[in-house]
Amino acid sequence: MKHLTEEEMIEHAYGESDNIVAVERHFASCPQCAEGFADLEHDLTGVSRLNAPPRDAHYGERVWGSIAPSLPLYAHQKQRFAWFSMNAGWAKGLGYAAACALLMAGAFYAGRQWEHSKRPSMAQVEHKNPPVKQPVVVVVLDEHLDRSERFLVQLKHADVDLSEMAQPMRDEARSLLAANKVCQQKAAKSDDPELNTALEHLDTLLAQAANSPGGLNTQSISKLQQEMNSDGLLFEVRVLRSRIDDHKKDGSNTAKGGTI
Amino acid sequence: MVRMDRNDHETIQAVLSGDKEAYGALVVRHSHSLFRVAFRITGNEADADDVVQEAFLRGYRKLEGFESRANFGTWIYRIAVHCALDKVKHRRGGETSRVGDANDPELDQLQVADRSAGPERILLSGEIGSMQETALHGLTATERTAFILRHMEDRTTVEIGAALGIEPNAAKQAVFRAVQKLRRRLAPLRVAT
Ligand SMILES: [Zn+2]
Repeated sequence: MKHLTEEEMIEHAYGESDNIVAVERHFASCPQCAEGFADLEHDLTGVSRLNAPPRDAHYGERVWGSIAPSLPLYAHQKQRFAWFSMNAGWAKGLGYAAACALLMAGAFYAGRQWEHSKRPSMAQVEHKNPPVKQPVVVVVLDEHLDRSERFLVQLKHADVDLSEMAQPMRDEARSLLAANKVCQQKAAKSDDPELNTALEHLDTLLAQAANSPGGLNTQSISKLQQEMNSDGLLFEVRVLRSRIDDHKKDGSNTAKGGTI
Repeated sequence: MVRMDRNDHETIQAVLSGDKEAYGALVVRHSHSLFRVAFRITGNEADADDVVQEAFLRGYRKLEGFESRANFGTWIYRIAVHCALDKVKHRRGGETSRVGDANDPELDQLQVADRSAGPERILLSGEIGSMQETALHGLTATERTAFILRHMEDRTTVEIGAALGIEPNAAKQAVFRAVQKLRRRLAPLRVAT
């Protein structure tokens, strides 16, 4: 047997060697490899296993308590994931938000439609329901939430380099506030409390950020972080975003269990 | 009150039949192992808590696609690894990577170079834990995660590949590269101790 490569030694150290007996036999007859392997084992032993800080016996219940309110019942699952249907649940709420996002994307969408109208009639016959509609809506809504998420993340870490960030952050808050208002009006007609709550929370926070007297400063940022619970809002926005991600994936990929 | 007298598969059936509260039992049963792996990957308690919540949220919404033959613990664990890796990539590069980008080699290149302090700085930091942490930061997010799953979570390369959404051989290579880089980076310590 030839000398072992470092890769073969690593494989062996983790018990995944193809031929454990042959490797062991080689070590017995080759001091060079045996020494190299001992060094490797020493190094690996030196890398600690990063023990996680303890979580008490009620940790799982607290996790459950924090996510349970945002989970819908499964009995109406089929309806909920029918995004553009008028059924109850979050799909309806997101449908409204998507519709308001569509307004924001009006010019872009109109352009696409105009292009459609210029296409040869055969194409129109073949595409009675142009698939372009849905992606545009989903992408734009996703962008609004994505921007909101990035703004909140920025806010979370806003105690550094404040002087440079204060102005752009306030501008972004104003821009987001306008977009959010449109979404809010539409979502108000839905019966999705979660979406409405998140947008309302976002509205209050953005308004405060956009109109802080004297611009954003350490004090106003700290107020947004603590009194307005910007971290909690960040989580709400992420929940909404992950639904969109799931929806996009479900649309393009119907992967079954055992995989993700 | 979370009901714990059913096994995972019975619980999942109950959830899918409209008993939302039943999901609480799955959360209680698996939250500790998810927190542990999330903490190891993110290296941060608050991020790990976020990951646990996100993983169970995603798991809930994907539950209909969960195959009854599969093991829920393994399945939700993989989701948590995805969420944690996503968070690390997000945090490191500031890029807007999502879970689907888990095996995007280009994003791996986005690691922040100045995170990987030189050996001198490692020695000067004077604390084994932080030296190791610094050395781990020198790895790409995928290498780091693959190594953590192999070295700390005792997962096989096949399991690591499945968790990261890459081929087992790619997972094996990621572990190799991680070990090689760590050894180079931690070599000065071996001499010093
Ligand atoms: Zn040899």
